[in-house]
Amino acid sequence: MLLMTQWNRMQMENQTLTQNCRFQISKSFQKTVRWLVVSGFVGLIFLVLVGDANAFDDSHDAKAETPISYNRDIRPILSENCFACHGTDAGNREADLRLDLSETAVGKEEDGAAIVAGQPDESLIWQRILETDPDVVMPPPESKKKLTDDQKQMLRRWIKQGAEYQKHWAFERPIKSTEAGIDALVAKSLKRDGLSFSPEADRSTLIRRVSMALTGLPPTIEEVDQFLNDQSSGAYEAMVDRYLASPRYGEEMARYWLDVARYGDTHGMHLDNERQTWAYRDWVVSAFNRNLSYDQFTIDQLAGDLRENPTQDQMIATGFNRCNVTTGEGGSIQKEFIFRYAVDRASTTAQAWLGLTAGCAVCHDHKYDPISQKEFYSLYAFFNSNADPAMDGNALLTRPVVKVKPDDYDAKIKEFVEREAALQKSIDEKSATVAYSDPAELEPRPEIQVTTHVWFEDAFPAGAAVNAPGAALVDEPVNSGSKALKVVGAGLAQTFYDKGAQPLTVPDGGRFFMNVFLDPNDPPEEIMVQFLTNSWDQRAIWGADLINWGAQNTSQRFPAGGIPEPGKWVKLEFDASDVGLTAASKVNGFAFTVHGGTAYFDNMGVVGRLDPVTNPTLSLTAWRKAQAGKDTPGAPADIKQWLKEGLDKERKPEEVKCLRDYYVANVCSTTREPFNAMKAELAAIKKQRVDYDNAVPSTFVFKDLPKPRDSFVMIRGEYDAPGEPVMPGTPAVLPALKQTGERANRLDLARWIVAPENPLTSRVAVNRFWQQVFGVGLVNTSHDFGTQGTLPTHPELLDWMAVTFQENGWDVKKLMRLMVTSQTFRQQGNAPPPRWAADPENQQLARGPRFRLDAEQLRDQTLFVSGLMVHDMGGKGVNPYQPPNIWEPIGFGGSNTRFYKRGNGDDLYRRTLYTFFKRTAPHPMLENFDAPPREQSCIRRDRTNTPLQALQLLNDVQHFEAARAFAGRMMASADTPDSRIEFAYRAALSRRPSEEESAIVLDFFHRQQAKYKAAPEEAKKTIQYGESKPPAGVDEVELAAWTLVANLILNLDETIVRN
Amino acid sequence: MNNKNPLFEHQLLQTRRQFFGNVGLRMGGIAMASMMGPGLAAQAMGSEDPERVHPPLPGLPHFPAKAKSVIYLHMNGGPSQLDTWDYKPNLVKQFEKELPKDFLGDRITTMTSGQAKFPVAPSKYEFKQHGECGRWVSSLLPHTAKIVDDIAVIKTVHTNAINHDPACTFVMTGSEVSGKPSMGSWVSYGLGAETNNLPAFVSLVPNFPAGSNAQALYSRMWGPGFLPGKHSGVVLRAGAEPVLYLDNPPGVDRSDRRAMLDALGKLNAKGFSKFGDPDIQTRIAQYEMAYRMQTSVPELTDLSQETQATKELYGANVDKPGSFTQSALLARRLVERGVRMVQIMHRGWDSHGNLPVELGNQCMDTDQACAGLITDLKQRGMLKDTLVIWGGEFGRTVYSQGKLTRERYGRDHHPRNFCMWMAGGGIKGGVELGETDEYSYNPITDPVHINEINATVLHCLGIDHERFTLRYQGLDQRLTGVEPMKVIKQILA
Repeated sequence: MLLMTQWNRMQMENQTLTQNCRFQISKSFQKTVRWLVVSGFVGLIFLVLVGDANAFDDSHDAKAETPISYNRDIRPILSENCFACHGTDAGNREADLRLDLSETAVGKEEDGAAIVAGQPDESLIWQRILETDPDVVMPPPESKKKLTDDQKQMLRRWIKQGAEYQKHWAFERPIKSTEAGIDALVAKSLKRDGLSFSPEADRSTLIRRVSMALTGLPPTIEEVDQFLNDQSSGAYEAMVDRYLASPRYGEEMARYWLDVARYGDTHGMHLDNERQTWAYRDWVVSAFNRNLSYDQFTIDQLAGDLRENPTQDQMIATGFNRCNVTTGEGGSIQKEFIFRYAVDRASTTAQAWLGLTAGCAVCHDHKYDPISQKEFYSLYAFFNSNADPAMDGNALLTRPVVKVKPDDYDAKIKEFVEREAALQKSIDEKSATVAYSDPAELEPRPEIQVTTHVWFEDAFPAGAAVNAPGAALVDEPVNSGSKALKVVGAGLAQTFYDKGAQPLTVPDGGRFFMNVFLDPNDPPEEIMVQFLTNSWDQRAIWGADLINWGAQNTSQRFPAGGIPEPGKWVKLEFDASDVGLTAASKVNGFAFTVHGGTAYFDNMGVVGRLDPVTNPTLSLTAWRKAQAGKDTPGAPADIKQWLKEGLDKERKPEEVKCLRDYYVANVCSTTREPFNAMKAELAAIKKQRVDYDNAVPSTFVFKDLPKPRDSFVMIRGEYDAPGEPVMPGTPAVLPALKQTGERANRLDLARWIVAPENPLTSRVAVNRFWQQVFGVGLVNTSHDFGTQGTLPTHPELLDWMAVTFQENGWDVKKLMRLMVTSQTFRQQGNAPPPRWAADPENQQLARGPRFRLDAEQLRDQTLFVSGLMVHDMGGKGVNPYQPPNIWEPIGFGGSNTRFYKRGNGDDLYRRTLYTFFKRTAPHPMLENFDAPPREQSCIRRDRTNTPLQALQLLNDVQHFEAARAFAGRMMASADTPDSRIEFAYRAALSRRPSEEESAIVLDFFHRQQAKYKAAPEEAKKTIQYGESKPPAGVDEVELAAWTLVANLILNLDETIVRN
Repeated sequence: MNNKNPLFEHQLLQTRRQFFGNVGLRMGGIAMASMMGPGLAAQAMGSEDPERVHPPLPGLPHFPAKAKSVIYLHMNGGPSQLDTWDYKPNLVKQFEKELPKDFLGDRITTMTSGQAKFPVAPSKYEFKQHGECGRWVSSLLPHTAKIVDDIAVIKTVHTNAINHDPACTFVMTGSEVSGKPSMGSWVSYGLGAETNNLPAFVSLVPNFPAGSNAQALYSRMWGPGFLPGKHSGVVLRAGAEPVLYLDNPPGVDRSDRRAMLDALGKLNAKGFSKFGDPDIQTRIAQYEMAYRMQTSVPELTDLSQETQATKELYGANVDKPGSFTQSALLARRLVERGVRMVQIMHRGWDSHGNLPVELGNQCMDTDQACAGLITDLKQRGMLKDTLVIWGGEFGRTVYSQGKLTRERYGRDHHPRNFCMWMAGGGIKGGVELGETDEYSYNPITDPVHINEINATVLHCLGIDHERFTLRYQGLDQRLTGVEPMKVIKQILA
């Protein structure tokens, strides 16, 4: 055994494996079948071995000399029954005994060794297994584990044969078999099992199978005809290549990876608000379509941000590690969630690329696989310096994010900037030609200009809509002119206008004046004047502060003085700024108010005072003074800076010129007018640029904090119990990590994952693609390549493909092509029932793959054959038909995904990949057909078969409307019922119906035709379900009957299945 | 059956017989006859072992079950134990006094960890002793108070999670981290159900009082996790279409469906003779089951046959679709028809601010229906084999969150101890388990982990929770998590 090469060993294992399989199947045939059929469960198979109870006599065993393989025969027994207490987990090891390593388990009898090679009766484990005393027997009764007699026999034979240990197969590098190719290796194993390939499926089955496998959609009738008519020898390969080149290929491939990446459009916890990270989804589609090699695909997602000068695409790819569920729930303890996110990211990475269930080692050493708790936390340390916060803020975008710039983004922005610059240049040029002299520099000093605008004299302004209850214009007393306004109030009395007249423009340095006469026999306690801009919040008051409007002691209620002396005219004055009015403010009305008495108002207006020397809109110097130390909004950065620095700082002549030119064009009231049109145009372009830029979406990316967080082994997996400190690192059982810096980073990790010496990555990847194509992986537990996982059914084939995949530069399309062009894939999917019973999951590969379509494929196929499908790619998720009250009854009140807002038009008919994915309440189409909720990484979906699925495919408006559209296509395709049925079969199944099938369908059609003829109002209802409209002028009875036929054909088992 | 090969033909029949005889699904007789010919159909139908649509796992139950079905009344948000079941008369004297620091601990939600003070808020409600057992019950639960001799109250349930999402996930799946199967999915997976016309596991999501602080629910609370999708809870919806896609499209009636299913069955039977794939047979049967559900579900939700006396047990809202009251009555009808597990997810128990108003509304909305359900089950002789569980995802703090007066206070999340009750199959009535300290802040006797509740639920169903595992991701996964958990013997009948 020691001299055996791995190659030999593998061959031998294969041989005995299949023998063993057959033995097991014959014993447990009925039970297995029953169990599988009942549960519809394609997952783990537990085979129960029933053996002879008294068969521990070595001579009795005819097969005693058949070599026992540790990996195949013994490890599963020990792993299941012993390793929990005698395995890798140091923290839970009993009796200091380790049975997973030869060094610790095997020894000499005199040392009391657990296993004495060649001598079962001297081995302590054998003695303990045979014990009847419940306190001594192994496994102990409280463990609830029990060895079957066959397992005991197996152990005994293994010890007898020398108790050879082997390293777990998946941790050894794959070796490429000398026999080349999928078919050669499958043929070899079939031959050993006494089986052979099934005949090749017919061409129409094949094209539908390939099209579904590569694009997730059935072929069109034209594509079928093209293939059927192509007599060339490379017809099949050419057909495959057409589908590999289709953009639909990337969409189909992406959906499996998005399960692995746990991609969703919401945060996934508590409020479950929307998150904008669909650019990552689109990146995955595009990565498959442009056939990005799997190693680069890996590095970009795990460490795109750490590449030298990462491209936008490489940054978007890091969204993989932002796809985990996050919380924004108030009350959460931040440390706890930082911890959880790193655990999730480390576990997902290990699961997705290495097929390891590393998450087991969060709380303790892994009980079965050689991953210690410390090693888990070393892996975790790569992800524990995440820059994204513990709380997602329930925000659409939680940093770090990047803008997803479209290809023409830079060109567009450049175009805007250039247009702006050109316009700016014209402005600058023009301003340089404008003559301007600063009044502050003129000799002699220009005079101060005074203007007076009288606003109320004898009457309100022309056109004013006056509201004057209890007020009157009187002849006596009068201050000037012929009238004054008398206002009388026992309490508050007000006279005002608020519209109709030309607004008053407040002048520079404005100071209001107003003459009042208070009745000495009835003097008011308070008088007030009030101005209307957008609001009435401009008030000046005199006397007692009784009128409770606006904030006291502010411009809303400015105390301008005491109550004036009654019995005489008094002129009252206040600055416009006192009541919050600035130069150029427009005033649209005023109000005179008294409180408790009688007053006369006359001759009210405003005096402007314009000093060209100190006025910033006339003097450059004054402007610079005014802006010193301040921010000047709207000015270019350098001008802003120069202004802020004030006049004291020396400026170069060209800088002064810049300031002057800007001033002339933008500020100076005597020169700026001619620039207005150009400036408006400039502002419009700027706005367009900003609008364009803001409309560009962003997406989540992964980044580290500038300073890494310290990582520790977390005792018992508790976020607040740090133990031993750890550095980023990888498990010792796998090849060593090559780190480039002092501290290993994610880029090192990513490169280590795709390093040629890593035994897992390539195997895990090809197995997952195999599972996609064949329905079940060569390693059935595609998520677990550890010792608890199932052994590969075809180890040589798995390894041959794993090595070939690497040799081909991790070329995914090439790998897919290799699989779908194989004879293994091209076999017919039918087999006699005993074969189904013997091998329900088709692990022996003696027939072609046949299994139910996934949720997305089912909906997409329906839309596709109906002609309703909209093929637009990418962008924000859409909301197609969904029954009411899926989101609403469970959503959090404040969640922005509480209410489902159905989309319209094209949104209803996009590929299901683009359906908005709300993780706490996925679309029922997805949930119903086993799509995972994307809360955790999912490597393999179930395929169940339930009545709820039947109800959906029969009754859902999405499917029924599509049936109507399909019926429309059928009617348009031909005139006779038989031809229409043939068209339907060809569109949905790529084949023609048999005569019998056609007759059954036709019978049903006639029944429906008769029914709808008798009840045309029912026909009308039938064809009007859904948003799209039936074709105009169609015979409604006919269309309704054909709709039911389409509904029937879309529900055929053969339609629901990839055959 | 046109296959020319006699051996193949024979094997086909064998498999079909095996299929229908051992594991198959009972189908509508008409369809069966039309598809298989009368002889074969009779053979399949006449099997002495009436076949089940939802069969149990082989070897389950592990031992004779006390309960056949489960009704889980989930009070989402965290009902206050201090104002319902955990009577602390001495707290009145502690009003507004600071909770001693050594009680407080450091695992407090960030909603109150910043509070300057942690003043004690005694319950404003009057507690009285009820039943032969003399159970103390607050005045908020006058109806439940009348059935205390039928229920076991556990006052020392504790959980690890302090926030709703992880805590709900924990209480329903045995794990804080999403991705695990819900309790109902486990039960469906293990035991199947007695009904051939309804799902094995049904969830109801009733409405809740306006103005209550309702938290979100998550489909993972009835989701199958890594179990096959068919074990997912089917949400029974209020109103016209109780099960998704149950109704035929407009213009399509039941006879159209029958005709279509007959044609479909014939065509699929041809597919079976061509491919030999047993999944085709299952699919035929599932379409027939779907057809039956189109009548069995409306029959289920049609309450016209219920007597006035029964309806009165549940309360005034019983005829209001979507009310908790009607949901409770539907729960009885579901288990009566052989559904294995029913879950009612009632929201709004998260009383942070104005607890007396909010909690008062919540209790008003549910109290009578809970008691009515127990009484109704008992009167029909169903309580002895139906297990009923009442409780939330955690309890609430003794200290007030926000403003405190005698009449108005709020309470934050409190995972260290809270109250649940269980009744019916396998449970001893009139029992109380566990004492908490003077502040209802920590258990002092008999702490019960929520996974011990789960272990006990399984125990009542005849399942040893340690042996009820599924290997997934390298671990023997189970409803009760990886830590050792005990069945709560003290409350078993």
